[in-house]
Amino acid sequence: MSGLPRSIAAFGLALLSIYPARADGDAARGEARFQDCAACHKLQADANNVGPSLHEIFGRKAGAIVDFRYSPAMKRSGITWTPETLDRFLIDPQAMVPSNRMPYAGMANGGDRADLIAYLQKASK
Amino acid sequence: MTIKLKEVDVVIVGLGWTGGILAKELTEAGLKVVALERGALRSSESDYSLPNIRDELRYVVRHDLMQNTARDTITVRNNPTQEALPMRRLGSFLPGEVVGGSGVHWSGHTWRWTDMEFNIRSNYETRYGKKFIPDDMTIQDWGISYAELEPYYDKFEYTAAVSGKAGNINGQIQAGGNPFEASRAREYPLPPLTPILASEMFSVAARNAGYHPFPRPSANASQPYTNPDGSKYGGCQYCGYCQRFGCEANAKGSPHMTVIPIAMRNPNFELRTHSWVTKVLKDSDGKRVTGVAYTNLLNGDEFEQPASMVLLCAYAINNVHLMLLSGIGQPYDPVAQKGVIGKNYCYQTGAGATLFFEGKFFNPFMSAGGSNATIDDFNINWAFDRAPHDFVGAYNVSGGFNTALPIGYRPLPSGTPQWGSEWKRATAKWYQTAMTIGASGSVMANRYNCYDLDPTYRNAFGQPLMRMTFDYKANEHKMGRHAAQVINDIAKSMNPTKLNPATARTDPWTVVPYQSTHNTGGTIMGTNPRDSALNKYLQSWDCHNLFVVGANVFPHNASYNPTGPVGALAYWTADAIKNRYVKSPQPLVPA
Repeated sequence: MSGLPRSIAAFGLALLSIYPARADGDAARGEARFQDCAACHKLQADANNVGPSLHEIFGRKAGAIVDFRYSPAMKRSGITWTPETLDRFLIDPQAMVPSNRMPYAGMANGGDRADLIAYLQKASK
Repeated sequence: MTIKLKEVDVVIVGLGWTGGILAKELTEAGLKVVALERGALRSSESDYSLPNIRDELRYVVRHDLMQNTARDTITVRNNPTQEALPMRRLGSFLPGEVVGGSGVHWSGHTWRWTDMEFNIRSNYETRYGKKFIPDDMTIQDWGISYAELEPYYDKFEYTAAVSGKAGNINGQIQAGGNPFEASRAREYPLPPLTPILASEMFSVAARNAGYHPFPRPSANASQPYTNPDGSKYGGCQYCGYCQRFGCEANAKGSPHMTVIPIAMRNPNFELRTHSWVTKVLKDSDGKRVTGVAYTNLLNGDEFEQPASMVLLCAYAINNVHLMLLSGIGQPYDPVAQKGVIGKNYCYQTGAGATLFFEGKFFNPFMSAGGSNATIDDFNINWAFDRAPHDFVGAYNVSGGFNTALPIGYRPLPSGTPQWGSEWKRATAKWYQTAMTIGASGSVMANRYNCYDLDPTYRNAFGQPLMRMTFDYKANEHKMGRHAAQVINDIAKSMNPTKLNPATARTDPWTVVPYQSTHNTGGTIMGTNPRDSALNKYLQSWDCHNLFVVGANVFPHNASYNPTGPVGALAYWTADAIKNRYVKSPQPLVPA
């Protein structure tokens, strides 16, 4: 049984790679989408909350903030956060990183994700 | 040796919903506030996050967020002829002991109590005559109106992220909401939670029976939300770990992630945790309070904290206990029916059925704190004639479940063995197939249901324990039988494979198992000092600079959960203090 979630995840990744992240996100609209994240994530450096700080998230390896308690799944995921990997993650976080601890079901709409990522690219600097 | 501290404007005893609301409001009004909380400071990020929060053994079985009965508990008896014995383990109700209080571990059910409660004696006397109310039923009008409280209900609902569907906006009945509710000024801040299969099936059956189901309003954010104070909520994930737990997604309206952090950022505020208040201190003529005495639980140091104003915001039982220990107001005597402190202790009653449907998959592990559908046809529907059934009060009926935990949730058809291989087989077979229909019923005040100080047992500080004398009376038995009948009729109409039918609760009340953390009364509000402890602003009739906030102010208990009016009354009292009392410190209502 333990192999089953991984194979589903792998299948999911293969499927999703057909739909690359859109580059036309609107950061202003994305600020409103960030409401989905804001109860747990802050954008300031060293401001860990229920979730880790998103300051300078792009280019960072998943699970890399030293004093945040990540799930083992996130630490060994090997992901480097880019607009593309974040887009894939946010479709269904449990599909891409099974057993991660983020209590969030995902953002289904690709336009919404593009807006959110455009906002994060500005606001996480 | 007691260390006397510097005087502050306000000392708040207990920092849950009521203490948190008052701390935020009064510090913003410029008052210097010190809050004393028995429990520890815990937060969403360090304590209520995944995976640690999903620990049923720690939080449900071992009561990690609740009062420690080894330090202080209550003694319990059913009637004055019995000797009360200490409740050595929590059971029937669960007072919180942590920053955030019971507001951390509640489910979030948020109701508006209406003039049906606030004018209860007048309503029943007018419609049914004085003789309809039994002689020993000490219900009385509250001295406040729904119209006065409406803006404060609204404020609490928007603070706590209540998801629901309005049934009546400015007198216009709204499709999909509760048609019996009192008129509200606007919609809930958030749309209803996604219904679960069990609540949908109940709604269909209730509608077919001619009733009016609606989604239960709950402080479980149905989508991400920023409240008017700027506190941020995540969307509910339907994880099923709501009641007894802090929320892992910051989706449940709780004081520790809303009003309390706002107060803590205010330089006018100071929080002292692990601080156990033993007494409210009075001046020599007993007309004013001068502060409180407390002990630092970490090292035993004793302090006196002088204050111009004292606000008791602890759990309902503990507020009354402090009043009795401090000798403020006349203790209630059920024989002579004199005195007020300890009077009209009330609880709630109920009945429930479990329905089993072979072949259905209810996925009980996925639910929110308020993922039920409810009918109020026998509750705040005044057209429901109580005369043929001969009871005062009301009950609501709900279908669904709001928590179904891995250790404790074992729905089984009656007659199943309690252990062994047959029990295991039945557990596996029925786990997915069960849903419940339950009634929550009011309890009317009775002259013999009350609190006083226990003559025998003492707490860790050498003080007498609180003694609770309580039992259900004939009025509640009659209502329970009516509720069980209604539940069973709905249940049978749904054609379950098996049914554990509802029965009225008529045995004497006991402290096990868990029933509800809705203990009310003891320092009740009212229109005059002869039959109430507090005026309508929750200000003590005896000491005008003492306010007592919480469900202990309710003169009787309704079928609804109490937190809606508890939160609304906290905002109402905050306004009375800010806008009137600080400008002219005196009784806000002439005695």
